[in-house]
Amino acid sequence: MTRQAFLLSLPALLLVCLFGVVMFSFAEISLLSMKPGAAVFSGPPSLANYERLLASSGAWRAVATTMRLSFIITVLCIVAGYPLARVLARSPSASLRRFVLFCLVGTFLSGGVTRAYAWLIILGNRGIINRGLEAFGLPTLKLLNNEFAVVVSVLNFVLPFFVMTLFGALKTIPATLEDASRNLGASPMRTFLHVTLPLSIPGLAVSTSLCFAMSLGAFLFPQMLGGGRVQVLATAIYERIQASYNIPEAAALAFLFFILVIVILVVTGLLRRLVGRRFAGDPA
Amino acid sequence: MAGYASCRLDIDGIRKTYAGGVVAVDDISLTVEKGEVLALLGPSGCGKTTLLQSIAGFVTPDRGDIALDGQSILTVAPERRRTAMMFQHYALFPHMSVRDNIGFGLKMMKVAKPEAVRRIDDVLRLVRIEALAERMPSQLSGGQRQRVALARAVVTEPRMLLLDEPLGALDQNLREEMQSELRKLQQRLGLTTVMVTHDQREAIVLSDRIAVMHDGKVEQIGTARDIYDHPCTCYVANFTGVENLLPAERGAEGVVILAGVAIEGIVDPGLAARKGAVTLAVRSEAISLSPGVSHGAIPATVTFVQMLGASMRYEVELDDGTRLVVAEVRRETAPYSVGDKVSARFAANRCSILEA
Ligand SMILES: Nc1ncnc2c1ncn2[C@@H]1O[C@H](COP(=O)(O)OP(=O)(O)OP(=O)(O)O)[C@@H](O)[C@H]1O
Ligand SMILES: [Mg+2]
Repeated sequence: MTRQAFLLSLPALLLVCLFGVVMFSFAEISLLSMKPGAAVFSGPPSLANYERLLASSGAWRAVATTMRLSFIITVLCIVAGYPLARVLARSPSASLRRFVLFCLVGTFLSGGVTRAYAWLIILGNRGIINRGLEAFGLPTLKLLNNEFAVVVSVLNFVLPFFVMTLFGALKTIPATLEDASRNLGASPMRTFLHVTLPLSIPGLAVSTSLCFAMSLGAFLFPQMLGGGRVQVLATAIYERIQASYNIPEAAALAFLFFILVIVILVVTGLLRRLVGRRFAGDPA
Repeated sequence: MAGYASCRLDIDGIRKTYAGGVVAVDDISLTVEKGEVLALLGPSGCGKTTLLQSIAGFVTPDRGDIALDGQSILTVAPERRRTAMMFQHYALFPHMSVRDNIGFGLKMMKVAKPEAVRRIDDVLRLVRIEALAERMPSQLSGGQRQRVALARAVVTEPRMLLLDEPLGALDQNLREEMQSELRKLQQRLGLTTVMVTHDQREAIVLSDRIAVMHDGKVEQIGTARDIYDHPCTCYVANFTGVENLLPAERGAEGVVILAGVAIEGIVDPGLAARKGAVTLAVRSEAISLSPGVSHGAIPATVTFVQMLGASMRYEVELDDGTRLVVAEVRRETAPYSVGDKVSARFAANRCSILEA
């Protein structure tokens, strides 16, 4: 590394070091325990917190819920987001593209809490949906404080990120390749399957992992729309800090979460390398 | 290779306006006969690609009709037109090998595997890239990509071939080599072809007829010889590299007066009725010089001499100040030098009279 390159990357390196310190500090705290009856934690260091967590069904349930919801959200994201990204990248109608872009940027710009409240209002017992159902004399639905509400709101949160990333990738696929495919006798459907989709796999892999990672870590929406009944890892950690005030155990759970994320990153990285090798020819 | 059932192409009053009001193609009508090669020649942005894409079906014209063998194809989806296109930058599928690229059309047409393999091998041999079959497009040179694109277009035995700047991305040497190869291949297959180029030499070498385009319109259509010797507008003359566009006067009965001297024998039935100021278009090689003063020729003075290898290039000035560019094949005698008094003689059958 040249001197200049080192200097240029210095801020980033410092930031990474800072993360390391934070990481290390809660790894250390996770080895301590709460002093009974007091708001302080102290030694001696032990793995007791981890033993307790690994033996508790609640922690495992949180892991399972987190993974399941993230998976569902990611699948929905692909199903809803791919067509949107395609419209953005290819639609001949400028007004349609502008409309989609406006909606996405709108969600970007409205803050998380605002959006969570909006969903509370929409999905609530007296929300638009249920009042609409009532107006037609139909039974109302329980839409809040359950996994449905969490999935919908987190989807709303990650979809713009997914679409924008994938849009960038789709935009780099030359439209003439699709024309060439049609010209050689492929219907629009087969053109998509044989040309567009394979060429978008590398970009899709990136946006999908982003989407999955963001769903894994989502806290605000599960907290506000799950109503305490949907326990994902982020809310479980929060509960240990705020409700039971067991900071060492929260730290241990956070550390386990961290390891889980690393494992997922490694696995998706390997998968990405695999599909990348299969599909990414540079455009000729 | 057999099985090429080539078609006649009729384009009738096609017009295309893009969003924003750009008229890319403005009322073009033309016919390409079975097995004929038509070159669309014109500068950048004159609507060549748009016209080609209307034939292939990627662009829907606002009005007019396009027919193959008398049947309109405007309502036919692009994938069912069988108008094979070679794209401006080849558009090879980057995630498929050369073999899969070429086989793509056959696969879409559900040609049986053994038959497909045979046809791919045939066409690989035809364009002489047998050895590259398993490579990926990114591992090919420009000329090799061009061959793959051509092979991919012809292997499906299309009804006609559309070439968009087929040699545009190649360097000069390779370009000349590919020109003759492309011409031979086209003649062998007898495929009706429309080809786009902005290089007049390429149009002349590769096609049977040329349509010179300007601002979405066809300015002149004819054989290479017609266009080369008898451009019918100043634009065409200029674009096809006519060096001399001279202000002249038209007298009676096919006589053109240039710098006070009458040039006889210029036959131009199209403009027989026109009198007065005209433009005389003459290529540099249709003018010859002789020393001294001679009867019926125009006196001139040599102002510039340049040696071009096989030929000499002179610039001469007429008595009224008009400048001419003259190219002469080099002769045994010493060439003229600056200041020499000469006489310029025009080959009347290679002069064109254009609107002033
Ligand atoms: N999709 C489009 N939207 C709007 N205008 C377009 C579009 N495609 C082409 N044009 C315009 O139409 C005109 C003709 O374009 P076209 O691509 O047919 O030109 P061309 O003759 O092929 O040029 P070149 O030699 O540079 O390839 C140009 O003025 C161009 O700007
Ligand atoms: Mg073009």
